[in-house]
Amino acid sequence: MTSPGAEIAELIARTALRDRAAFRDLYGRTSAKLFGVTLRILRDRSEAEEALQEVYVKIWQRADRYVAGAYSPISWLVAVARNHSLDILRARKPVNDDIEAALDIADAAPDPEQAAVAGGERSRIESCLGELDADKADAVRGAYLDGFSYDELAERHRVPLNTMRTWLRRSLLKLRECLSA
Amino acid sequence: MSMEGHDSDGLDGDKVLVGEYVLGLLDAAEHDRMARRIAAEPALRAELALWQNRLSSLDREFAETPAPARVFEKVEARLFGAPASPLAGFWNNLLLWRSLAAGGIAVAAVAIGFNLMQPPPLDPNLFATQLVAAIQAQEGFGVEFVALYNAATGEVRLTALSGEAIPDKDYELWYIKGEEPAVSMGVLPVDKRTEIALSREARSKFEPGTVLAITLEQKGGSPTGVAQGPIVALGKATPI
Repeated sequence: MTSPGAEIAELIARTALRDRAAFRDLYGRTSAKLFGVTLRILRDRSEAEEALQEVYVKIWQRADRYVAGAYSPISWLVAVARNHSLDILRARKPVNDDIEAALDIADAAPDPEQAAVAGGERSRIESCLGELDADKADAVRGAYLDGFSYDELAERHRVPLNTMRTWLRRSLLKLRECLSA
Repeated sequence: MSMEGHDSDGLDGDKVLVGEYVLGLLDAAEHDRMARRIAAEPALRAELALWQNRLSSLDREFAETPAPARVFEKVEARLFGAPASPLAGFWNNLLLWRSLAAGGIAVAAVAIGFNLMQPPPLDPNLFATQLVAAIQAQEGFGVEFVALYNAATGEVRLTALSGEAIPDKDYELWYIKGEEPAVSMGVLPVDKRTEIALSREARSKFEPGTVLAITLEQKGGSPTGVAQGPIVALGKATPI
């Protein structure tokens, strides 16, 4: 029995081999998730559609950069969609092709946490976020899931921009220590 | 840019900086600079991997939202030019082949004539040279392939529909023309698409009635050039 993750990995591999049917299948199985990413970060339906289109063009072009086993395939796809959306936020036209960075993670060793989380365990990031003050954990989640900038975070949490920067950097250092503990 | 150039100190500063990079908190100039450093510095790549891996557990919070069909139409139009022809779509539709296989009608197919990545030619004579071979898995075996022949390159492309790799064994593909002995086309992996370049002689043998057979052989294929193992799938080219 193959897991859904293994099936997605196989579809990515076949896409790299220029298998259009596999690419269509991959789109069918993953586009709702990736549209959820572009929509949440860009907060504009037509922009999110446009971004989704760009994301799948990149996936077709760079599918060979995905290394099976090194990283969960759906996380890789989400990273491509998320980074593309953040590029759009950063500058209306993307200047830096962030997919390279998204793909760099394929160098990493297989991470047992992926399996543990898939099995329903509370993830490391969730327990580590739980050790931060609630508003600081919210800020980290807002940056990751909503693409909030320091400016937006400062506004939402009603603190000066520099205070937010200092806050969040300290929180990231604490989070980082917990993540590798 | 030297290490001293960073606004936070030393290694901890870099850890935080990579965290900000992954979260998307850096402005465009800082982000670009960090991307270049990550590309150049293995320690930062490891740091990036850790942040990405851990944070990706939050990915489940992105709610699935069905995207309109026009998005994928635009993707295909951008990547492949004009919309795929009905014929190319037919060939590339693995689901169709799977459902045909499930119905026991046609399992593997050979198309002969022209490059299927191109729009169909208008010359009716070229249409007439297209062939299909309906192949069924043989009793007790679940191996099924779709084979497409591209006359422009002389390559046969094979895609597995089903079949498991068997330890210490390989699947070997053969073509059989009339009463002539089977000629090996090489071993076939079941887990990916395979392209086999045909010899000039083999190209001349691909006609209506040519049979493709898959046998189960020892690792690396039959050493004698003659099939030794059982036939697991078989199909004959016919015009469509």
